[in-house]
Amino acid sequence: MERVEPYKPKNKIRIVTAASLFDGHDAAINIMRRIIQSTGCEVIHLGHDRSVEEVVNTAIQEDVQAIAMTSYQGGHNEYFKYMYDLLHEKGAGHIKIFGGGGGVILPQEMEDLHNYGITRIYSPDDGRTMGLQGMINDMVAKSDFPTGININGDAGHLGKNTKLEIARLISAAENFPDSVKDDLNKIHAEAKKAHTPILGITGTGGAGKSSLIDELVRRFLIDFPEKYIAIVSVDPSKRKTGGALLGDRIRMNSIRNDRVYMRSLATRQANLALSKHVDEALSILKAAHYDMIILETSGIGQSDTEITEHSDVSLYVMTPEYGAATQLEKIDMLDFADIIAVNKFDKRGALDALRDVKKQYVRNHNAFDLTDDQVPVYGTIASQFNDPGMNALYRTIIDTIKERCKVDLNSSFEISKDMSEKIYVIPPNRTRYLSEIAENNRNYKIWAEKQSAIAQKLY
Amino acid sequence: MRNKELAIETKSESLSHSKIPKVTLPNYEGWGDILLWSLRENVPGEFPYTAGIYPFKREGEDPTRMFAGEGGPERTNRRFHYVSLGMPAKRLSTAFDSVTLYGQDPDHRPDIYGKIGNAGVSICCLDDAKKLYSGFNLADPKTSVSMTINGPAPMMLGFFLNAAIDQQCEIYIKENGLQEKIEKKIDAIFKEKGIHRPEYSGNLPEGNDGLGLMLLGVTGDQVLPKDVYSKIKAETLSQVRGTVQADILKEDQAQNTCIFSTEFALRLMGDVQEYFINNGVRNFYSVSISGYHIAEAGANPITQLALTLSNGFTYVEYYLSRGMDINKFAPNLSFFFSNGVDPEYAVIGRVARRIWAKAMKYKYGADARSQMLKYHIQTSGRSLHAQEIDFNDIRTTLQALYAIYDNCNSLHTNAYDEAITTPTEESVRRAMAIQLIINKELGLAKNENPLQGSFIIEELTDLVEEAVYVEFDRITERGGVLGAMETMYQRSKIQEESLYYETLKHTGEFPIIGVNTFLSSKGSPTVIPQEVIRSTEKEKENQISTLTSLIERYKEEAEEQLSKIRLAAIRNENIFEMLVEAAKVCSIGQISAALFEVGGQYRRNM
Repeated sequence: MERVEPYKPKNKIRIVTAASLFDGHDAAINIMRRIIQSTGCEVIHLGHDRSVEEVVNTAIQEDVQAIAMTSYQGGHNEYFKYMYDLLHEKGAGHIKIFGGGGGVILPQEMEDLHNYGITRIYSPDDGRTMGLQGMINDMVAKSDFPTGININGDAGHLGKNTKLEIARLISAAENFPDSVKDDLNKIHAEAKKAHTPILGITGTGGAGKSSLIDELVRRFLIDFPEKYIAIVSVDPSKRKTGGALLGDRIRMNSIRNDRVYMRSLATRQANLALSKHVDEALSILKAAHYDMIILETSGIGQSDTEITEHSDVSLYVMTPEYGAATQLEKIDMLDFADIIAVNKFDKRGALDALRDVKKQYVRNHNAFDLTDDQVPVYGTIASQFNDPGMNALYRTIIDTIKERCKVDLNSSFEISKDMSEKIYVIPPNRTRYLSEIAENNRNYKIWAEKQSAIAQKLY
Repeated sequence: MRNKELAIETKSESLSHSKIPKVTLPNYEGWGDILLWSLRENVPGEFPYTAGIYPFKREGEDPTRMFAGEGGPERTNRRFHYVSLGMPAKRLSTAFDSVTLYGQDPDHRPDIYGKIGNAGVSICCLDDAKKLYSGFNLADPKTSVSMTINGPAPMMLGFFLNAAIDQQCEIYIKENGLQEKIEKKIDAIFKEKGIHRPEYSGNLPEGNDGLGLMLLGVTGDQVLPKDVYSKIKAETLSQVRGTVQADILKEDQAQNTCIFSTEFALRLMGDVQEYFINNGVRNFYSVSISGYHIAEAGANPITQLALTLSNGFTYVEYYLSRGMDINKFAPNLSFFFSNGVDPEYAVIGRVARRIWAKAMKYKYGADARSQMLKYHIQTSGRSLHAQEIDFNDIRTTLQALYAIYDNCNSLHTNAYDEAITTPTEESVRRAMAIQLIINKELGLAKNENPLQGSFIIEELTDLVEEAVYVEFDRITERGGVLGAMETMYQRSKIQEESLYYETLKHTGEFPIIGVNTFLSSKGSPTVIPQEVIRSTEKEKENQISTLTSLIERYKEEAEEQLSKIRLAAIRNENIFEMLVEAAKVCSIGQISAALFEVGGQYRRNM
């Protein structure tokens, strides 16, 4: 087959990818989303088992041009039609729906879905004739239209529940800042009046930031049953292709709540940890009167202090695996962060790490008067349910925000003095079990051969 | 040892009057050869069980296990009776729809509605389970039920056990002539609640005597005295026979039907096993440690075996760390493999048995029963193709032959049309015929150790065994199975191997007849099914109304049971013990929701 060149988009294109509800087949969509990214699109990947409502809400909050789904588990007729209906019901009928499901979706069903308004279902034959890149090119070309235009007075009536308008304004600020100057000025004025606190979170890649944010949001929603929270998450664009994988949502379970708005932004300038228009996004959310905003930046690590300029309180997330204690002296964020989480606290050397990071914090902040308990450095295991360290971290964050920003976030979240402790499935002194078995069985073989040799001699 | 009394039965006679021995022995003379053979091979039924775990195959029960699951419980029940009619042993294997597999209830919401009863049966509560297995005595030693479900396995097991207990209550009621009295009692219960008594929708199929349907809508403890019920319950638990898949490690590595965090899911598995030990559930496998899905996702046979055994040993280590006695839980473990056409599949059972036996005996000091690895095997779905689908039966036959020669304990043969659609009665019958022809017609299969003594088989066995240990060492370097899962080691390995196969298939280097070579004059096009079996509107509505009626019937009781479950979770007590009670009055979705609150939901990985 001839090599198909990737299509070159004229607009900034954003696409949500996922596999259908109760459907664990994620191999195909994972391949597709990689090609979509390398074709220059920003991809918000949700992974498998996603309900129509989750996908549609994501598509609206992220203001995407298209949704790309796979459905291998049956029920595709209902699924895609419901998606189409729900998008229209929520005023987002412009978002295009693409799908595929191998041989599971019959030809007549495809036709029926196309007639209903689904933009395109790709069949296995399409895959053979167009090739993977060809299919993606077709899809991206059909999604190549601008977002963030036709802002008809959205700025005037922003509220916590006007998620579509919020999303559209953020796109406008990103894509056409000059043409919406007046709207943005209005928003800046409104944002000034709001006292929405901003929690900035940054940290090394793979430190478990998204899980940790998910756990913070979960506690916030329980702690404040009336309050709304927004998350702005910034990930790097690839300089080579212009595409980006915006992958924070896949880890987050708690954002599936009406009181949460989440927006993933790509830096669009690979050298900046923070998207150029992040301030605009924050202002828009403030103007919409969100009660708290979490701003998260990609794991660039050592020179990531820019986040402190955008936030009221900052949190640095790291793991015990930073190497020697002297490495800590190189981490700028230990100078700037108000609070530090040593996540993945079940890793080896965690207690030493906690001690060293605390020491470094005290030195960097000249906080020699703090007792060990008062140093805001916490060992956490975000992946563990109801982790005591996470509880303590959450409470400190909220209390710090309340004090510094003078907002009415009166937490009643109960915490214990307990340290995060991994509840081990396999006790740490047993982790070599497989090699022990291998050794045991290999020795048996050697023994059997020796015994046989002796017996043969006797014979 | 038992030679004399069994001498006659150890041989069969061919049409040519040849005596075909069931088990043949090597004719080595050197003591060294004899010793080495008995240490590494031995006769079937003797350590290290390389050739099989029993001295002889079970009489009157072929390893045939038939899979069914579509629509509502009634339709699947009819299918079960159809496939097992006239068979002395009832070996049923249940496929659930995706709603159930993710622990949710049927609902009118379209993204759920479309999946009710498709690609599996919809089971959301005890009444569904009662209908599903009605007419099969679940406490009969010749009945064996397998349930393919993982995340919500504890809930399904709860429904199953209660269905079995209530069947025995029904038998007790009938035997003691209490029918009329109990019927009145049940009617009164429903009259008081002002709702209809649930019933089996449609006619009973041939072979279904209605056992299990008398107590629809109620449970035995509502109509029988407490002591009678307790006695029946205890007896039933010691008798039920079957398997629930419940293998959460391979779900995270290969198949994605996780609903709880891995740690919490493991804890639930441990709770189930502990309950089995405490209640003498001896004939039911609490887990089916599965390589099937690992292989279906693309792993080669060595990786399938290595990952599956490593998962198995992980359960062993976990249960030991919880203080359970290896000799009490090891017999509750079973395995499930996929069987393709690769050469290594000729010895997969031999290698698995040998590794397991040696580890159990010498590493864990376990007794003989614990040393015996039992496995179910299914012919590979991935080896079936959507082109020239008639050829698929040939592939399945070869795989079945591998499996039967290797002394598998249980076998499922796929239907040839499975690559394109849900199998029909016709295609399922052909798949069953494959096994029957091997077992009844194929002369060599009268011998039960036909692989022993073959040079290539012995060499392959050693080769695969060592390859598994090399993989064990790689996993250890990554912190054991759970450590390796954190960096998605298993998943990446499976994907790599899948890509390798696809590439060779694409370039034609790996020949597949009727797919990339030996194409017909028409080019062997992909076969598109004319129609697919889908559940009907009526079936879907029935499922929803069963659920609605349950929720209405047990409003208060359900909340009470759910809070007991939550409390047990928080207090670190055995959750499954509470769950068995909750399964009487709660739906699968209600229990899932309660457990999410105290255990957290599964967090997806990129």
